[in-house]
Amino acid sequence: MSEIRLNIDGIEVKGHQGETILEISKRYDVEIPTLCFDERMDIYGSCGMCVVEVEGIPKLLRSCATEARDGMVVKTRTKRVVESRKIALELLLSDHVGDCRPPCVLACPGQTDCQGYVGLIANGEFDEALKLVKEQLPLPGCIGRVCPHPCEDACRRELVEEPIAIAWQKRFIADMDMKKEEMFIPDLSAPTGKKAAIVGGGPAGLTAAYFLAVKGHEVTIYDMMPKMGGMLRYGIPQYRLPKDVLDKEIAVIEKMGVKLINNKKAGIDFTLEGLRNDFDSVFVGIGAWKSSSMRCEGEEMDGVFGGIDFLRKTALKETSKIGKRVAVIGGGNTAMDAARTAVRLGAEKVYLVYRRTEAEMPAEEVEIVEAREEGVEFVFLASPKKVIAGENGRAEKLEVQNMELGEPDASGRRRPLPIEGDVDIIEIDSIISAIGQGCNPEGLPELSLTRKGTIAADEATFMTNIEGVFAAGDATNKGADIAIQAIGDAKRAVEVMDSYMNGSIIPFKEKYYVERDDLTEEDFADREKISRGTMSHLSPEDRKTNFEEIMKGFTPEEAVRDASRCLECGCHDFFECKLFTYANDYDVDPSKFQGQVHHREQTDEHPFILKNADKCILCGQCVRICDELMGITALGLVNRGFETIVKPTLEQPLVSSGCISCGQCVSACPTGSLQEKLLIKKSVPVQAEVTQGICSYCSLGCQIDVETKGNMLYRALPVKNNPVDGGLLCVKGKFGYDFHNTDRTLTPLVKKDGKLAACDWKEALASIAEKAKGIKSRYGDDALAVLVSDHMTNEEIHMIKSFATGSLGTEKVASLSAKPSGLTDVLGANASPSTMEEMSSADLIIFIGNDIYDTHASMAVKMRKARKNGSKLVLVTEKPTRLDESADMAVQVGNDLSFLREMANALVKRIGSSPRTEGLEAFKASLEDASPRDLALDIAELYFKAKRPVIVFDEARTTRQAARLIAAMAASSGHLGKARQGILALKPANNSQGLADQGIGDAADILDGIASGSVKGLLSFGESLEDINVEPLEFLMQSGFAAVDASAKADVFLPASASFETSGSFTNTERRVQFFEQAVSPKAGLENWQIVSEMASAMGTSLDFDGTLDIFESLRLSTPNYVSINERGFWSDGRGDCLYLDSFATESGKALLLPSKGGKLFEDYKSKYVLEKAFEEYLEKEKLK
Amino acid sequence: MKIVIGEGSCGLAAGAGKVHKKISEVLSANGLKADVEITGCCGMCYLEPIVDIYDDYGEKTTYVKVTPKMVDDLILKKIRDKQEVKTCQITQDDLNILGNQKRIVLRNCGVINPEKIDDYLEAGGYEAIKKCISKLSPEDVIDIIKKSGLRGRGGAGFPTWFKWNAARASKSTPKYIVCNADEGDPGAFMDRSVLEGDPHNLIEGMMIGAYAMGAEEGIVYVRAEYPLAIVRLEKAIEQAREKGFLGKRIFGMDFNFDMRIKAGAGAFVCGEETALIASLEGERGMPRLKPPFPAQKGYWQQPTNINNVETFSNVPWIINNGANAFSSMGTEDSKGTKVFALTGKIKNGGLVEVPMGMTLREIIYDIGGGIRDDKKFKAVQLGGPSGGCLPESLLDTPMEYASINKTGAIVGSGGMVVLDETTCMVDVTRFFLDFTKKESCGKCIHCRIGTTRMLELLTRITKGEGKEGDIELLEDLAKKVKDGSLCGLGQTAPNPVLTTIRYFRDEYEAHIKDKKCPAKQCTALITYRIDPDKCIGCTACARNCPVSCIRGEVKKPHEIDPAVCIKCGKCAEVCPVDAVEIL
Repeated sequence: MSEIRLNIDGIEVKGHQGETILEISKRYDVEIPTLCFDERMDIYGSCGMCVVEVEGIPKLLRSCATEARDGMVVKTRTKRVVESRKIALELLLSDHVGDCRPPCVLACPGQTDCQGYVGLIANGEFDEALKLVKEQLPLPGCIGRVCPHPCEDACRRELVEEPIAIAWQKRFIADMDMKKEEMFIPDLSAPTGKKAAIVGGGPAGLTAAYFLAVKGHEVTIYDMMPKMGGMLRYGIPQYRLPKDVLDKEIAVIEKMGVKLINNKKAGIDFTLEGLRNDFDSVFVGIGAWKSSSMRCEGEEMDGVFGGIDFLRKTALKETSKIGKRVAVIGGGNTAMDAARTAVRLGAEKVYLVYRRTEAEMPAEEVEIVEAREEGVEFVFLASPKKVIAGENGRAEKLEVQNMELGEPDASGRRRPLPIEGDVDIIEIDSIISAIGQGCNPEGLPELSLTRKGTIAADEATFMTNIEGVFAAGDATNKGADIAIQAIGDAKRAVEVMDSYMNGSIIPFKEKYYVERDDLTEEDFADREKISRGTMSHLSPEDRKTNFEEIMKGFTPEEAVRDASRCLECGCHDFFECKLFTYANDYDVDPSKFQGQVHHREQTDEHPFILKNADKCILCGQCVRICDELMGITALGLVNRGFETIVKPTLEQPLVSSGCISCGQCVSACPTGSLQEKLLIKKSVPVQAEVTQGICSYCSLGCQIDVETKGNMLYRALPVKNNPVDGGLLCVKGKFGYDFHNTDRTLTPLVKKDGKLAACDWKEALASIAEKAKGIKSRYGDDALAVLVSDHMTNEEIHMIKSFATGSLGTEKVASLSAKPSGLTDVLGANASPSTMEEMSSADLIIFIGNDIYDTHASMAVKMRKARKNGSKLVLVTEKPTRLDESADMAVQVGNDLSFLREMANALVKRIGSSPRTEGLEAFKASLEDASPRDLALDIAELYFKAKRPVIVFDEARTTRQAARLIAAMAASSGHLGKARQGILALKPANNSQGLADQGIGDAADILDGIASGSVKGLLSFGESLEDINVEPLEFLMQSGFAAVDASAKADVFLPASASFETSGSFTNTERRVQFFEQAVSPKAGLENWQIVSEMASAMGTSLDFDGTLDIFESLRLSTPNYVSINERGFWSDGRGDCLYLDSFATESGKALLLPSKGGKLFEDYKSKYVLEKAFEEYLEKEKLK
Repeated sequence: MKIVIGEGSCGLAAGAGKVHKKISEVLSANGLKADVEITGCCGMCYLEPIVDIYDDYGEKTTYVKVTPKMVDDLILKKIRDKQEVKTCQITQDDLNILGNQKRIVLRNCGVINPEKIDDYLEAGGYEAIKKCISKLSPEDVIDIIKKSGLRGRGGAGFPTWFKWNAARASKSTPKYIVCNADEGDPGAFMDRSVLEGDPHNLIEGMMIGAYAMGAEEGIVYVRAEYPLAIVRLEKAIEQAREKGFLGKRIFGMDFNFDMRIKAGAGAFVCGEETALIASLEGERGMPRLKPPFPAQKGYWQQPTNINNVETFSNVPWIINNGANAFSSMGTEDSKGTKVFALTGKIKNGGLVEVPMGMTLREIIYDIGGGIRDDKKFKAVQLGGPSGGCLPESLLDTPMEYASINKTGAIVGSGGMVVLDETTCMVDVTRFFLDFTKKESCGKCIHCRIGTTRMLELLTRITKGEGKEGDIELLEDLAKKVKDGSLCGLGQTAPNPVLTTIRYFRDEYEAHIKDKKCPAKQCTALITYRIDPDKCIGCTACARNCPVSCIRGEVKKPHEIDPAVCIKCGKCAEVCPVDAVEIL
């Protein structure tokens, strides 16, 4: 391919003839958006997002399809290009129905991820929930207690019965955290060397400090009060927010390195100018501490208090002379706090005077209810007119003007109008005015103010009139609001401050989200009604005389129960949705395109896949991946134009469409139109962590990105571009990952009085040691035998083997899943000579097996791909299979070896003897009875003439005789021991090869021993003993997932760890050793290798390792082929990847062409792996097989 | 004596079948002898059924709008009595229409019997292919086509030789030659007419193309809604095969070619060549990206050449008459002739074939006879639903590719819909958009949703719900849809919007700002009123009103209740004194 040079966005780049503009741009990190392109599939070009301009060409070109030419000048972000992309997005979004984020999150001024933490709580992941809250909110304990929770007002569960108790949920996880010795502290970025000062240590200031510290800045807070907390400390009474909660949350901020300086007042102790000089930026969050005027005669009189002043004094433990009769003026939460504080301070009569009615009160309903319970008397439709002094000059009476409600005003509430001449007199000792708060920017004279008297800050940058000085919270712009608003604004301001300190100011911009507002009660009519429940709290009698906290908090059970009610409104693909990302990148406004919007039923008819056509953008990726890559064609496009929709074949339910549930469609979908159903209890969209995993079912060794959140297995995702599976998973890899989560036994069991009873590890291990030692001393070492599953890791097998030979002293270690190898008989080693990558350059592939979509689906895809690359594909199967359509020839031969023998006969007639084989003549002679039919002749001829043929066969389901014949055909015709041709034997399980490599063979000896009585004690690791008569045994230890079946006969049961609960390696069917990471901690407490290590100790021996890498090193040194594993992970007999380039592994170095007799071609294979069996049964039950 | 009955779809629809039957009956009942033949459409669809009677000297007389009732008189007088029949004889004016044309593609239509290969042979058929195979190399053929200047007649006007040459240059075999007979534009029927009237001409054209590019298999993709065309083409292919013109070693030379018909399911987008290929392969008819072009990777990824019926039908004539004969017609930019389907508010609707470069005015007025009912001309819509609407000021535009493209319209397949003063340009745009919106395959975002949103905007405007800024939004969206769509459908679907905004913006503004429809077509924007000065109180309107919203005493002026009126127009229709006015 000749090299070309072109210019993309002013950069000189190089490419090759035939490469597209998109490919080259990608290589040079020039980002071109696309919603429909996937390099694994044919170019489709529907989305039009990847358009670019090329000099000299009037049309916009789709870069995914346009081949780059030498000298091209490409522009990827011209105005025309950007507008074309933008309008495409706007058009898409004009018909996109859903909630990018749930209503609760959108309603929260602090944008806390309510759905996220509620969902995590529902799954029992309390720590993760706390971490998630703390990504947005530093004070969840405080806010969870005091917030009027706009989130709950928005919660759609209201349409079923009541909102989720989101605030209580938040409080619950914060309380859990506070009970710990060490509270959670977020990770801090590396120090930036920048310094920020904060004026005011209330919710806004503390929040700014927290997030600035997270970003690595050095932060100092100055506050005029003796302690930090601002309004949370001095404005909210203790019974609502105990101050130790606040103290603990502030302590975390202090631990993060924020310097807290109290008792310093602006203008006196420091000046803004001084701070501006000493710090890189300043944040002002001084709050609104000035009680608003009642504008009534006599309000300046003794005995009239400002609400907020009254609360502050109380918090400071200063006394206010309020007397026995108190009138509190106002209808908001401060008025309620003042009234209820007055009750607690001993007032006998507390009036709450409000100029409208209860319905219009801004205070929270619970506050009104509780105040009333505590004896507060409500005087509605009354407005203070005059404070009348008593003899001592103190307020003694309050004259109120009675009101009536008129037309609604700007706030939507009915306007109170005075009734002329209708006044009342209330006898009082004091008046507390709580009708509002204003800002008092005293000491900061440099700052410009709004007309309201608040600090003026830019709406988008939060910057004041002074450069580098930012402001947010109650003191700013629109004035006092709820705490979470101040927190949210402070957080946004921090983003801008951070950019400012980094040198370029980036204004804050509200994100575009798709929202829906068309849901009604009817949409949720099928939901079971479950009330949110109550929280235990103090009775009015118990609380009104003291300041003890009223609400006691959720128990974990209550929290989980309530959280489980969440309707999961927010899109589950939010964190990976390309449409959302682009919509914000391109600053869309789809509102101009109003018109028809599709509302289609979400289809939930597949056990693993959810389909929502309303979020489909018709990129066709699902349809194409299913057709082009998987060869299944379960999905198709139906209808035309605006009504086009993706539907399963013949508009059947997806399960009846031929779907193999590989989930590729889900992985390909760029939006939330196709989603996997998560296997966790409560589906919740979160940003998960990723660890590298390997599928533990079949032997291909497909790689998996294991997504976890806390100790929760979240999802399994294919890994794009890996050489093993090419980024494709089948149903097992994609959806089988967490199948063991059900019905697992998680404690060790020991047989007592004939029954298995739970015990601790120590007891179980001691019991094993005791029994094993007893058998050893009574019957000798070989009376003990060990079985090990081919699903275990190399490290586990190594440990078990070492334990057997070292600690138990027995040589009897075998696997029920292993069987004698036909390949070994002929070639000398139980291993595939070829690798999977070689198939991509083959010119002929002959597959011998049965429906490979069931057994090794990714191999079916590989064979299809090889055919696309130019290889011929021939299938020799018992019955028709789903791959037949994709093959050049598909022969059904029944279960009889004759067809292969005929092929071999035809083949050997064409060849002479070779120095690399022996026994050709006898082999030929043995085939003489098999006179080839036409098809056998044809295939033999194809094979003979092929330059790069590979035979792939399903070793587990093929007889030993057949395997010998296959090996002999390949060896005798010279199609073995050369690169790019040979044999790929598909082993049954993920680590069958590893097991063979460690020399562990079939268990015939052990089974005979059990039957004959020579084996007295059996220790089984991961094997299913269902079909084995264990009655003669004196002792049986079984390690597995569930104490069922044969385990019931066990004397000791040990709960095993699953593959994602440990780290280690598997050797796949092509001899590639692949390592994987631990994704979650073992549910039963110990990883399998640790269990074995402990067992060895209990036996009085030692098998100490630092971890699985350490074990692997020991294994590597003790396993001949593993000493020189190459950098691609393969073991071989030379430097390359494939085997036998020089000689075969037999003693003579020659392949032994063993004479062939008739017999069967295939044999049944039943997995001995509990999980695989259970998963297969499940698939059958769900009609997915 | 020979009687030839026009039995194209248009003739049959007008009753030619019954006339045919009646003629046979009358002849046999009277013991008269005459050959009765059929032929295709001669283009004057508005005159169908047409019967040509040739006397013993071969002199032809044409009778038009013949009904079975007239047959007795016609046959007895003309055949038996050898007298002149005047009643239904074609007028000189109508004959002039034909005289103003230059017929190459349609030269045999309405002349020969399409179901008889011998008729075609008699007219010089299959000589061109014979000449090619025996005397010309494929390169020579391509060269002739190049010199002739023939451009594709299906839409974009791509030089035919270039496509043939590209397919020829592609190394891979087998190669395919495909005829696009998926004529989808409403109002265009030239391809059908050729298939029905002269199928061998197409077969021969394809054979020449196949010879030039090296294809051995041809496929004609005909829309299934053309049953008669399919039957006639099938017959023609069968006859050609019988004569050895199709099959192995044609004319005993080293040239193999055969062809077959694929009936398309009638999706408009399948006229787009890549969508057509997808449909041929049994896939959903959706366009694919180009490159690779079909000439490199087409049907089953093999080199494929696709031309439409009209293009192929020019080819035998060019070979027979030479490149110069063809290129001497037309203009510098556009050579040869073009067939137009003249429809709408035109007096003489039908198919006309004229040298390219003739002006719209000449076609509409000289050939088409002007506007029906002597109404005022308003616009002509060129190029089907994705073409454009041109106003009176552009009537002198010559019909050639470059000039038409400059106006914002396209030549397209040659549809020409004439609109008069009673047409609302916003409403007619809405009509065309409704077509393209429904026919969008749904692949590209811009086309799939863009056409829907444009249609919605247009609908709102015609309902009087248009807002300030809607015209600009429409224009912007239309341009983006053109820019962002993959295939010709999406790239041209906005043309009606853009050209009507360009030439008739005042009508849009009247709808949006004044809430008025100048053509008085948009029911939401008009009111009916009875002029009390004119009304004679005859009560006809009140009696005919389907919603009884007209009141008034006999002999006294009547009044319409606008709140109830459904604006059906019945009152205006029945008023004897034109007292009902539309405001």
